[in-house]
Amino acid sequence: MSQEIDVALVNVTKKFGNMTAVDNVSFEIPKGSFFSILGPSGSGKTTLLRMIAGFEVPTSGDIYIGGQRVNDVPPNKRPCNMVFQRLALFPMMNVLDNVTFGLRRRGGMSKAEMERLAKDALARVGLQGLEKRKINQLSGGQQQRVALARSLVLEPTVLLLDEPLGSLDLKLRQSMKLELKHLQARTGTTFVYITHDQTIALAMSDTVAVINHGRIEQIAPPEELYRRPATHFVASFVGENNKLTNGRVTNFRQDDVVEVDIAGIPMAGRAGEKLAIGDPADLFIRPEMITLRLGKHDDGILGKVSEINFDGSHSLVIVDLPEAKQPVSVNVKIQHTENAPDVHVGDTVTISWSPDAANAFHPVDQSHIETEV
Amino acid sequence: MSASARRRGLWLLLIPMLLWIGLLFVLPHLKLFYLSFISRRGGEFTLANYLYFFQNPLYRKIFVRTAVFSTLVTLLTLFISFPIAFIITKVAGKSLKAMLLLAVILPYWVSELIQAFTWMVIFRESGVLSYLLQRLGIVNQPIEFLYHDTTIAIGLIYTSLLFMTIPIMNSLETLDDSLIEAAYDLGGNFWSTLREVIIPHAGPGIMVGSIMTFMLNLGNYVTVTLLGGKNSLWFTEIIYNQFIIRFNQNKGSAFSVILLTFSVVFVWIVLKITKQDLSEAM
Repeated sequence: MSQEIDVALVNVTKKFGNMTAVDNVSFEIPKGSFFSILGPSGSGKTTLLRMIAGFEVPTSGDIYIGGQRVNDVPPNKRPCNMVFQRLALFPMMNVLDNVTFGLRRRGGMSKAEMERLAKDALARVGLQGLEKRKINQLSGGQQQRVALARSLVLEPTVLLLDEPLGSLDLKLRQSMKLELKHLQARTGTTFVYITHDQTIALAMSDTVAVINHGRIEQIAPPEELYRRPATHFVASFVGENNKLTNGRVTNFRQDDVVEVDIAGIPMAGRAGEKLAIGDPADLFIRPEMITLRLGKHDDGILGKVSEINFDGSHSLVIVDLPEAKQPVSVNVKIQHTENAPDVHVGDTVTISWSPDAANAFHPVDQSHIETEV
Repeated sequence: MSASARRRGLWLLLIPMLLWIGLLFVLPHLKLFYLSFISRRGGEFTLANYLYFFQNPLYRKIFVRTAVFSTLVTLLTLFISFPIAFIITKVAGKSLKAMLLLAVILPYWVSELIQAFTWMVIFRESGVLSYLLQRLGIVNQPIEFLYHDTTIAIGLIYTSLLFMTIPIMNSLETLDDSLIEAAYDLGGNFWSTLREVIIPHAGPGIMVGSIMTFMLNLGNYVTVTLLGGKNSLWFTEIIYNQFIIRFNQNKGSAFSVILLTFSVVFVWIVLKITKQDLSEAM
């Protein structure tokens, strides 16, 4: 299947002095897709976006937009537009003048024509009738929309979004998130969205690239990213996860299913990367993938409930493993359905999971990564 | 504390400022205004002091020259200051920024009088510039650079550069860099970004700087007299002559009132034309 590629990065590296912000990054973004770059702050994602926009020049490597190499093309000549983190609306102009700014620069168009296009763009983001408003008379969400309209009116090949939802409150962020996704589907413009907020990346994207320390860790659709993390970093950064450390690979059950000894208890999981018997390993298990049964059963691991955190639709049950040589506890998320187990603190339970639901990786130095759950 | 006591406290704090403005600004100007309508000999009410100005073509010409010259110098100062302010606030790195700022401020550690003398050392016939040109073989006899309009302009620009640069710097400081980037991103170039984003944002700063510079130029005496000599033909010199040389306080007062009225009206008109609000600009 040959798909048209809108943005391509080939071995792009960016250094600031001794510091390597982006390290040999390559990827392709198909036309019309919603592509997110997800990473913690300082991971190099902003630098990456600024290189696509043209505000930074790669130290080495090439950037292509719409098949054209754009390394030497200044930002005002690139077929991409950016929605800035702080929106960067022009406070000295009204809404209409903000939206027509790019059209006026382009020229070759009558004033009436520009206004018609601008009004169209404003209507598309749901801002009819506010053309004459000053920027500071708009709410945060409305400003967000003006920033989108200002870029979209130019019909860019690629729209770059630098975490523009970050400054909104939770409710508004949720609704803008959906709106943005619908807008992207409607316009068919390629969106490149950078964020440190995984819920946004997972919910909106066709493809997510996880970046850490300037390197791409994994590029995959959200679901694959969640179920099949490619690296230790992705497993710990994306979604909630139980991270069981200080394990050792003791056995291979199948080609890609290993048994990891965690504090004396053998636990099964998928080998997330190449592992050998005797290797140290960390095991990641999603809390919602663990089955919890009351009482002692032979086909699982014995546990004792130490804490229950009710959270509406589900509860987070913290289970200690009494058979472990060192204290180990596992978070289990249970849905409050009709046949959900009726657990109480102190209950003896058995937990189990399909080996497919756990991922094992070599341990890495984790000092820089935010802890999860 | 009761509200009235608090109010009394507030007035008490305001007293030094009120005294300052009242005794050193309002009273002298009222006196000036009064004197300008009084005849020198008889002490009765007269418009003669003003008529003397309007009937005398030399004074009128000098007045117009002073106004036009001040305006031009203000514009020149703006053109020189704006790039300096822009480079200091937006382009320069931290250490260069401090250095440039120091270079702008340093000349003001000496008084205007010393500044003018320094220029004289450079520009006079036996001065540094003339000497250098001769040594380099560009000219073969000493040249007098003093007492030209250009020299006066250089001196005036130098004395008011800081008063233009600082307000513009202040206004540019609050300009979010991403606005400039956004303008470029949307297809803008240097000129359109300057015209539509940077200058509108810096407008109040430009206005404050221009008003201060214009006032300083219009009312300048030391620099103009020392660098321009007899050729300077500056209106403040006329006022000085009336007060000090001819002991004619009444004519001097009338001339002062004319200058003051002109500068206030002129600034007001410029503010109206550029649609700036004085309180906002300040």
